[in-house]
Amino acid sequence: MGAAPKPKAYIKNLKKSRYQLIVDKKPYIVKGVCYNPIPIGQNHEYDWWSDPNKPWIKDGKLMQEMGVNTIRVYQTGQNPQDVRKVIRDLYELYAIRTVIGHWLGFWEYPCPFYANKDFQGRIKKEVLEMVNLYKDEPGVLLWILGNENNYSCYGQVNPWPFEGMENETDPQKINLARLKVYYSFVNDIAKEIHKIDPQHPVALGNGELRGLEVAKEAAPDIDLVACIIYRGKTFGNLFNSLKAIFDKPVLLSEFGADSFDAYLNKEDQNMQAFFLESQWRQIYENLAGNKKGAGNCLGGITFEWLDEWWKHNENDPESWKVHDTGSNWSNGSYYFDNQAKDNKNMNEEWFGIVALGEESEGGLNKRIPRKGYYVIREFWNKK
Amino acid sequence: MKSKKIFFLLLVFIMSSQLLAPNLRLRAQDSEKLVSLSKQIIEAKTNAELEQLFAELKNLYFADNKYNELTEFLKSLSSKKKALEPFADYYIALSRYHQLNYLEEKQSWDEYFSHVNTYRDEITDFARATTDAVEPQEKLYIYAKLLLWQFHRDQLDAFHETALTDLMNSVLEYARASADPGPIKEAADKIFSYGEKGKAREIYKVYIDKLISSDIKDEDLAKTAAGFYQEANPELAEIIYDIYIPRVIISSKEKALPVLASIAKDFSYKDTGLKDEAYAESIFKRMEDLAGKEAFDEGLIHLRAFNLEKMKEYIKAKDYYEELTRRFPQGKYSGRAYYKAGIIYAYILRDIKTGRQYFKELTRQEALSDYGILSLYQLGLLSQWQEDYVKAGEYYNRIIGQAKDGEFPETRQLTLERLEEIEQHRPIEYNLKAFLAILSDEEYASFDGTKIDLISSAYLPKAGQAINIVSKTHNAENGCLQVELQYLWSGDLGQTRPSPQSASFNTTYTQPGTKVINLVVVSPAGIIGRYFDIVDVD
Repeated sequence: MGAAPKPKAYIKNLKKSRYQLIVDKKPYIVKGVCYNPIPIGQNHEYDWWSDPNKPWIKDGKLMQEMGVNTIRVYQTGQNPQDVRKVIRDLYELYAIRTVIGHWLGFWEYPCPFYANKDFQGRIKKEVLEMVNLYKDEPGVLLWILGNENNYSCYGQVNPWPFEGMENETDPQKINLARLKVYYSFVNDIAKEIHKIDPQHPVALGNGELRGLEVAKEAAPDIDLVACIIYRGKTFGNLFNSLKAIFDKPVLLSEFGADSFDAYLNKEDQNMQAFFLESQWRQIYENLAGNKKGAGNCLGGITFEWLDEWWKHNENDPESWKVHDTGSNWSNGSYYFDNQAKDNKNMNEEWFGIVALGEESEGGLNKRIPRKGYYVIREFWNKK
Repeated sequence: MKSKKIFFLLLVFIMSSQLLAPNLRLRAQDSEKLVSLSKQIIEAKTNAELEQLFAELKNLYFADNKYNELTEFLKSLSSKKKALEPFADYYIALSRYHQLNYLEEKQSWDEYFSHVNTYRDEITDFARATTDAVEPQEKLYIYAKLLLWQFHRDQLDAFHETALTDLMNSVLEYARASADPGPIKEAADKIFSYGEKGKAREIYKVYIDKLISSDIKDEDLAKTAAGFYQEANPELAEIIYDIYIPRVIISSKEKALPVLASIAKDFSYKDTGLKDEAYAESIFKRMEDLAGKEAFDEGLIHLRAFNLEKMKEYIKAKDYYEELTRRFPQGKYSGRAYYKAGIIYAYILRDIKTGRQYFKELTRQEALSDYGILSLYQLGLLSQWQEDYVKAGEYYNRIIGQAKDGEFPETRQLTLERLEEIEQHRPIEYNLKAFLAILSDEEYASFDGTKIDLISSAYLPKAGQAINIVSKTHNAENGCLQVELQYLWSGDLGQTRPSPQSASFNTTYTQPGTKVINLVVVSPAGIIGRYFDIVDVD
């Protein structure tokens, strides 16, 4: 009896907790971008998957010229045929694979009820339906469950009720209990995905490394951690810390820098390019093939391919037509413009490595690559 | 004869450039100037002449961003006269450096990335060729080292730290061998402009040492320091004062004290203009070490206390406010000193009993001053908080009795609000109650500003002047997700009532005196912390 054939995509365990992603029997370094091509004037509800102008064709060509081999989508569109078409076009025309995510109900109103069995059952059903729909597409690379949902366990963002903990006053105990509930739920879904799709790895989409000490016990069945991380120039000790906390491979599934200097109130493509180059250098230093690094990194997915003009004020349709320069959040690691008012230096509408122009080209907003596009292209070319 | 031949060849080069490549053309008057400059460069006898001529040449080309043309011309120049090579090499490197910056500014990325590696190599190769060719005591040596550091520093690449060390060593070497301190200061200014303050200070010291070694007199040293202060270069002014002060102290203690007081005043907190509160405090400390606390008059003690207060060193500030109350109980600043000591005791040290004693000192007289009125309000508030409503009512009614004819309008308004709460058996308004409630909670005992900070756009505004008060909250990591924070503002908020969603607010005050602004920040997971700030309205 011969050995069972290897899955299409899987994690290869090397010595000393080093890991490699293998796709079609070859090592695969994820060189990705988060992809959400919302045109100027639209918001996140826009169904770009069915856009007759097919933005992914124009973008896919630019991506291929840059060296991108992977896109990440946070959730699929409504029409499976449209979704299949996008995944297939990108793969067949440009050899670009797709990482498919699911929000796990994180943005549902009034909150994600992770401690509620009915809620869990409904989300699980949604995820498994998604996997069944697309698992046979040759362009699919892997699945990511959630995206920074772990922060909700600390009660500060999208807090959810937890029956039975009403009388507990120790916030640490409450957090711990929530984390167990959430990661166990993710683990349950991961196990079910493995049953119906043994061909693709399943990732836990986690904000920073917060809570992973709990995930180690509660979510052993996930294949890798997809880390969402904004630490500026350096990822610091992330790779070795992860080894110590939860020995799984890591894909940096969302990282990057914006290109707007909130302090000087002007675009600064150098600033963005500087951070991106540094971040990619560290990703490569920690790949399995680099003996000096931690060896547990599978690659990265830069946030993001295109600017999104709706993000600063998603409730005001007029502002979706304007490239807002306001900032919504603060991050001291992006130190060039941290002296901005209220320290708010992260400009959500300026994260694209390709800017959008208001003029139309083939029914789409013009694509204007920023310096970051070229810098990453040069970096990958040299590798 | 030889120089004429070289000049003729250059002339041919200039003319052919103009004819063959129209895009390389200089304006007619510039072409004439170029011919003239070329002639002067060829005939120059000294480095000083060349420095000036090459700088003019650079300006001529840089004005039109003609970097390629300058580079070509310089290469042609150096190939024709060996002695010009170091200058030509340095300006080629400089030209490529500016060219890359120019392409970045224009965002001409295709052109930029087509040439970036070549130009970067040229920057380093030609700058190094310069340093190899000239002696360490020559200006060009420092300029080339400075350019190399700037080049690496701009990219924050792996070499920028070693390039800086190299530059620092070069400056030291130059300082030992050259009499002209100018390039040392230029290097320090450039390093300072990149935010490398520590390294800039080291080089400024070298520059100062160079000045001192030229037997500069004390008064000239003081004038130089004052000059840098006027130029808004406190770093350099402080370094010179640090050399000047021991000289003055040695010459005469009596002479030194007013000098120290004057320097401390210059650097103390002020709303506009140059300040360095920490440096001012270091000078105050030198005064105290030199002549004890008696060396301070009332104004100086108050300035020291106020400066410490603006450094958020509230407990140290309190010590000096208390000293004011002891030494100058009837002085100009006594009301403010009693009041602030009371505030710091009550709301930072959480020693309500001592705080109350200070407030009471100001309420003994029949006719109350501004600070007497403010203290009555604090006494009323603390009594109300401790549920002694009768006592609280007495304090509040005394304010109403005194605040007739529109006097003390802001305190009167707050007092009426508190009295209404007592009369209607309602609790203190929510935000103020939250601030007072966590005073007694050990979890929020520390008051170090690590979680919340408050900054006012002015701390000494005039009555009616608009000011902006901003809070900064340092919260736990939540990635790019926004945490919905609530800002519970209370205390002296002036003519506005900021909403719980406002992290900052604009206001004006009409009543002079000390204003205390309280803030409690709450996240969905609970209270993050409390803070307050003090503003003195003239």
